[in-house]
Amino acid sequence: MIGFTLRAQRPPEPRRVNDDVVERFEHVLEVAPEKMTEHVQQQDIPAWDTHRIVGGRWDHLDWMHDHWADSVLSTGIEPEIAELGEPMPSEERS
Amino acid sequence: MTATATALGDGVLDELRGILGGDEYVLPDLPARVNRTRVPAPFPVHRWGEFLPDVAVLPRTTEQVSEVVKLANRHGIPIVPRAGGTGLADGAVPLRGGIVVDVKLMNRILDIDLVDRTVTVQTGINMLTLNRELKAHGVIYPDDPASYPCSIVGGRIGTSGWSLIGGRYGHTRDLVISMELVLPTGEVIEVGDGGGRKVRKSSTGFQLKHLFMGHQGTLGIATEATLELVPRPEVEFAAFFAFSDYGTAWEATGALAKSGLATLAGVVLFDEWKLAYLRRDDEAYIPQPPTVRAVIASAMYGARDEVEPASRRLMRIAKETGGKYLGDEISQGDWASRHDRYATPLHGRLKDGQVVPMCWHCEDASIPYSQLPAVREKWHAIAKRYIDRYGIFDDWGMFAYTNAAYKPWGDYLTEIDIGIWEQELDEESWRGWVQCKREIAEVALEHGGSITACHGATRAGDVELVPQEMGGGFEVMKKIKAALDPNNVMNPGKYLLDQAYEGENGREAVR
Repeated sequence: MIGFTLRAQRPPEPRRVNDDVVERFEHVLEVAPEKMTEHVQQQDIPAWDTHRIVGGRWDHLDWMHDHWADSVLSTGIEPEIAELGEPMPSEERS
Repeated sequence: MTATATALGDGVLDELRGILGGDEYVLPDLPARVNRTRVPAPFPVHRWGEFLPDVAVLPRTTEQVSEVVKLANRHGIPIVPRAGGTGLADGAVPLRGGIVVDVKLMNRILDIDLVDRTVTVQTGINMLTLNRELKAHGVIYPDDPASYPCSIVGGRIGTSGWSLIGGRYGHTRDLVISMELVLPTGEVIEVGDGGGRKVRKSSTGFQLKHLFMGHQGTLGIATEATLELVPRPEVEFAAFFAFSDYGTAWEATGALAKSGLATLAGVVLFDEWKLAYLRRDDEAYIPQPPTVRAVIASAMYGARDEVEPASRRLMRIAKETGGKYLGDEISQGDWASRHDRYATPLHGRLKDGQVVPMCWHCEDASIPYSQLPAVREKWHAIAKRYIDRYGIFDDWGMFAYTNAAYKPWGDYLTEIDIGIWEQELDEESWRGWVQCKREIAEVALEHGGSITACHGATRAGDVELVPQEMGGGFEVMKKIKAALDPNNVMNPGKYLLDQAYEGENGREAVR
């Protein structure tokens, strides 16, 4: 029989990122479970399957780089986000 | 002769089988027709049956397409060309049934000419597939829509598509050198810039190539195309920058676009609503703090000796105009995903934050750079009104992409992405949606823009404004349509072109 049980590799408890998003694995972001209760149910996915899906996505992006150019030029510069100050006064979002 | 039949008889189907050489190329079964009814753009799913074709056919040669079109004229049957079916207008959606000519089996590479730098293909080929073959030759066909892995050359011609890297390499109309075309009467012609399939610039005769770009299947079916080849880039460079407010980012966008750096392929401005959407629901999630309220994406392609110094200058301009670098990982990863936006699983939020499956409406317009801030405010205000009223829409934010060919300044492909909970649509909410779309398009015209940069303006909510935007040019469109398609068989009902058969022509609309 082919199949799996969630018990075989249960993912870790999520870390809250913000009101809408949680994170179980580094850089793998999910909709917060309480926001998927009425119209769309969140599925249980074992850890290995999450890693497979995410790995497949990175493979695809790597492939896309290779598809468009012989190499990718990097800056080596660290992200500078911490240098941004306070946000401007908030505009009302719909 | 006009078409009056509501379904095709066995005689017509047998004729089609004879033309196409077998049952497997003539598909009257319901699944084949249902799958060729809609495109990814919002669709009145509660009225799906109104848009079903009567049959789909899969030709493999220009001659077969020509014979199918001649048959349609003999019997007065509508013809609707369909390529990838990835368009965001409704060019491939049958309005009056008839024969869908699906060109996906016309997918051969006919000639790779590395001396004159062209590749000639049948129009059913996909660009990604083509470029996999071209890689071995050190060249690339740089037409790069958001649907790059799944859209098809023929559809790119039919919509006059826009390319993500068009600021460097041009857009579809610039990259198609010439094409073979089946006219609405079944005649086969070649059109280009003058004559000669591999000539890029000519002053002979009318410039017919542009006439057959972006007609949404109303003027014929392109069956072969000779395309531009450019050297495969040695280097790609992508850089994303964060800003704490939209106004500063808008000014920086202009500074980058006007930099004069020849390898700059495109600049993209994400607004605050777009950042909010990326934070909550997009697979390309950019995990940035609330201080980030606008992002600029930029990319360069070319020889390493050009791109390396140009990238340093680009970084300097971005820094001087207030941008904060997001780092190599996010820049490179997100840019790669821009080639493939159709892979995104679509969901959105109701006002209470609950997730629902949504389809994607991308309202596109060409907007002068100077008008972007004002248009942005008006578009979001319109979207909010309809979200509040109907509760099945979601504002996914706005992008502004450099829109000109070979020079990334001037006007911008400006889009607002709106999620629609399609399963909840009924006639009232559908009409509300169309009105929302119309108001968005009206703003584009008020600000000196065009109501579409790349999708086409055939859909309800857009098409009513085409005569306003085109002015006297719309009368010319009607005369051309009536002259080339005397029986109104080629994608009838699109672009208000039934008007070409009213009045002194005394013709009824097909069906």
